[in-house]
Amino acid sequence: MDIKHPAKAGSLESNDIYVMVEPSSEEGIVLELDSIVMRQFGRHIEAAIKETVTKLGIDNIRIVAKDRGALDFTIKARVETAVKRALEE
Amino acid sequence: MKIFGINLAGPVREEVERFLASNGLKLEKDVEYTAVAVCREEIVGTCSFAGNVVKCFAVRPDWQGAGIAAQLLTHISDILFSKGITETFIFTKPENGQLFSGLGYRSVAATPQVILLEGGTANIGRYINEMVREAGINGTEKAAIVMNCNPFTLGHRYLIETAARENEQVIVFVVEENRSCFSFTQRLNLVRQGTADLTNVIVIPGGRYIISANTFPTYFLKDRQISVYQELDALIFARYLAPAFNIRIRYVGTEPHCQVTNNYVEALQKILPSYGVKVCLVERVKSKGECISASRVRQLYEKCHWEELRDLLPPCTYDFLRNYPNPGSQANQAD
Repeated sequence: MDIKHPAKAGSLESNDIYVMVEPSSEEGIVLELDSIVMRQFGRHIEAAIKETVTKLGIDNIRIVAKDRGALDFTIKARVETAVKRALEE
Repeated sequence: MKIFGINLAGPVREEVERFLASNGLKLEKDVEYTAVAVCREEIVGTCSFAGNVVKCFAVRPDWQGAGIAAQLLTHISDILFSKGITETFIFTKPENGQLFSGLGYRSVAATPQVILLEGGTANIGRYINEMVREAGINGTEKAAIVMNCNPFTLGHRYLIETAARENEQVIVFVVEENRSCFSFTQRLNLVRQGTADLTNVIVIPGGRYIISANTFPTYFLKDRQISVYQELDALIFARYLAPAFNIRIRYVGTEPHCQVTNNYVEALQKILPSYGVKVCLVERVKSKGECISASRVRQLYEKCHWEELRDLLPPCTYDFLRNYPNPGSQANQAD
């Protein structure tokens, strides 16, 4: 399944993450993450985002995420909301 | 504290202007939307945008560190997103770079005076790779020219011809911003038509990262610091566009009477060679002793001096202008 249009969720505030998704011209899940804790948790956050997207059954997508120290469940909720918005007609 | 958009035509505008003034800034004329952070009926922060550029941003010093910047930027990003603008930019002083990079913005290039950051889904590396792919070009060493062509004249044609004669392949970037008399599509099409016979010339949209002397934001115009901006433009060209397209030389037409252009050439000469890109100055071609320039063409066009225009324009532009409505020509017909 592919998303239909760009969408976003979240905020740039502390302890949150701003997730933007858009249809991708490339195959697969393309993720660009900026995080204030990139060095400590970058890989972990990337894995959490990709896992959420995969679980939602999305094959091709570009995700740009600006993380401000969000916890796992916040990350997952924001990603899920953005993807669901992007699937709406 | 509340964050909301204001009516720019209403009385709050003046309050925002006063607030910005107390922070050494102005509410720029091209601003399309302004948000304010208000606490106990006082403005404690503001942020605006014009097109895809986020600007006129300030938070009252005694309120800094309280997360107002993040809230304002989220609000502005949301509004931009809802307008379909997902790629955003900020030009600011280098010392402010840190603040924005902590809020999800990435530095594209910085000179000692200015830093350009990108946010939203913008990504210069990706964007330029896409430009290269769309242009369908190979890895040959290339010459490049950046032009506004407002409209395309024999002067532009001469510069392109010169580069085409001296190089295996030439790329012409037509400045994409629509702040010119003629629309980007019109300008691009005329350059394409007018160079169709030059087989080693490719004409492509300049894209988002070529700023050009014609489109420098008002922020720097106000401070008469265009040169600051020009250096940034040269740096972006040298660092991102030139390697992606394999550009080894950039051609520029001289403009004896234009200080802005001269400064721009200086900036190019200062920066490009250190990235392995030569700068080749080509003297402007003249018609009846006067340089051919697009501004001269526009003046003659306003007055409908078709005979003179014939000497300055390639047939495609001449025909285009003859069929293009213009207040001058209507007045002429009424006469």
